Amino acid sequence: MIATYQSDSARLITPTMMWLFLALATVPLWIARIGLYPYLGIEILIWSIYALAFNLVLGTAGLPSFGHGAYFGIGAYAFGLCQFNVVANLWVCLAAAFVIAGLAGALVALFISHRRGIYYAFMTIAFGQIFWTVAIKSHKVTGGEDGLLKIARLPADLGFASIDLAGNVSFYYFVLLVFGVAVIAMWRLVHSPYGRVIAAIKQSETRAAHLGYNVWLYKASIFTLSAAISGFAGGLFAMAQLAAFPDVMSLHQSGYVVMMTLVGGGLVSFWGPVVGVFLFLTARDVIGALTNAWMLYFGLLFMAVVLFRPEGVAGAVAAAWQNRSLYSMRRQGGSALRLLFGGGRWR
Amino acid sequence: MLDLLPHILNGLTLGLLFALIALGFMLIVGLMEQINLAHGSLFALGAYFAMQLMGPRPPLPQDIASAWLALPLGWRYAAALIIAPMAAGAIGIAIEFCMRRTYGKDPLYGLLLTFGAAMVIEETIRLIWGTRDYVLQVPQAINGGVLFGDLIWSTYRFYAAGISAVIIGLVWLLIEKTPFGAIVKAGAHDSEIVRALGINLTRLRLLVFVFGTMLAAIAGIIVAPIWGIRPHMGVDAVIPAFLVIVLGGVGSFWGAVVAGLLVGLAVGLSGAYASEWSLLSMYVLLVAVVTFRARGLWGKKSVLEA
Repeated sequence: MIATYQSDSARLITPTMMWLFLALATVPLWIARIGLYPYLGIEILIWSIYALAFNLVLGTAGLPSFGHGAYFGIGAYAFGLCQFNVVANLWVCLAAAFVIAGLAGALVALFISHRRGIYYAFMTIAFGQIFWTVAIKSHKVTGGEDGLLKIARLPADLGFASIDLAGNVSFYYFVLLVFGVAVIAMWRLVHSPYGRVIAAIKQSETRAAHLGYNVWLYKASIFTLSAAISGFAGGLFAMAQLAAFPDVMSLHQSGYVVMMTLVGGGLVSFWGPVVGVFLFLTARDVIGALTNAWMLYFGLLFMAVVLFRPEGVAGAVAAAWQNRSLYSMRRQGGSALRLLFGGGRWR
Repeated sequence: MLDLLPHILNGLTLGLLFALIALGFMLIVGLMEQINLAHGSLFALGAYFAMQLMGPRPPLPQDIASAWLALPLGWRYAAALIIAPMAAGAIGIAIEFCMRRTYGKDPLYGLLLTFGAAMVIEETIRLIWGTRDYVLQVPQAINGGVLFGDLIWSTYRFYAAGISAVIIGLVWLLIEKTPFGAIVKAGAHDSEIVRALGINLTRLRLLVFVFGTMLAAIAGIIVAPIWGIRPHMGVDAVIPAFLVIVLGGVGSFWGAVVAGLLVGLAVGLSGAYASEWSLLSMYVLLVAVVTFRARGLWGKKSVLEA
């Protein structure tokens, strides 16, 4: 067990990742046969990147951010506006989504990183609402409530060849590739010395500060990074939807990413957000086809998860896998992040 | 300055409403150290219940309904103002029973649980009443307008501001000047000692929570004729309520009231110059205050910061 933990967290690509990527690569071959469509796959992958980025703040750093939709939305707008006003190049526009959302995140981080608990949570809501209001009211720039329309799926220009991403299947593979890179990057990040300090801050800010770490800087930087990656996912989402809308920035939608992350098990597992996004979006399409009230059932499920299984689906699976009691898992809290599907060591 | 007077007056009446909306939320935060994100949904439920009771088809047997509808509007309004919050209080009991499991844990769990509850209530509202807007009738006496200066003011706004001030005063008396208030405050301060003194803390918490939800529902009924009744009204209420508490500081009664008035003034005055952006002003106010004062205006140390 200890050996797997050490090798897995030191790996660039873990066996879990390999299997996941391989399985995901086959999705376009069969998804239409079970009555779904490749676009759902695209959405799940993009929201997974977003939820993983969000979980850097919630799960890894233990900072309650409830306005993360703002950065996702800013990324989407940045992608569209860059395409219209600067240059219609995929790489430049995605970089713009990453950088602009990161800048917005850095600005907010300046104001909130010395706050804790409820004050931190509410400041993130307040800034989320500010960005949302600005997006709705700036008709000339963002198109207001109608959204920024006619965003194109730009071709991926590789210098020697240019790949067209207009079709859903080719775009799916592009997003899968990006998802792979993002997962590996975030996996390395949470297992780097930097990520360990972040996890230590989650356990006790005071203790980390006494050990000589600049807590403010770590909190600000992880928030900025999370906002930037969320914005990057937002850029992809603008491509997927062929438009950017303000609703992803609303409090409701910011709440959805929190729900997905928690239902999946983001507090105890790296993969929790991905599990949660998969459950949420599939449920939306499958149950949503049967009844209008699917949010009601998802809300009830969410309440049940918070009450009875706060470690979420991934946590429950991992515990069963390793024959560990959920109670010990709950007590473990922050450092349980290391308990991944591959194995983990308990302190 | 004289031009500004109507906007200041408008802002103050709005501020009293914000303070009223925040009142139930504040009690639960201050006395139980729990964030009730379902506050807005209970606010909306109060308005819907009252509308249903007073509307053309009250949920009553046929013969009682016709007798009920024969009553003057004023009587029905007064009765709705009492019955609707009690119905919302029953929902509050259910939420508190769920919430018990989160006591003593990270306050984040209570917040998330009530976020889920808010979603469930809002979706239920959509299922029962649909997404259309409703209007809450008010008695003739408080309807209409008055000429004040050279502007027409809605009488209802003054009534709403007045009744908000009265309710805020009554709640303050209850918390500060009655034995019940003393026990509740002691329970928030040191629950172990209070329990050791033979007081049933479980029941006390239930009472506080239900009282908070009833206040939310009352606020909903008072505000409904101004904002209109629609499913989204819950979110429109819970964010300002949360904001007022954070701005005023957790655990401070008058902090919340002053914060409510400040938010009202900010929205009212900015509405005079840039009505499009007036809702932004409250967030800017919050950021400006909390950047310099960590716990809002008069906040006390609380477990919610950990």
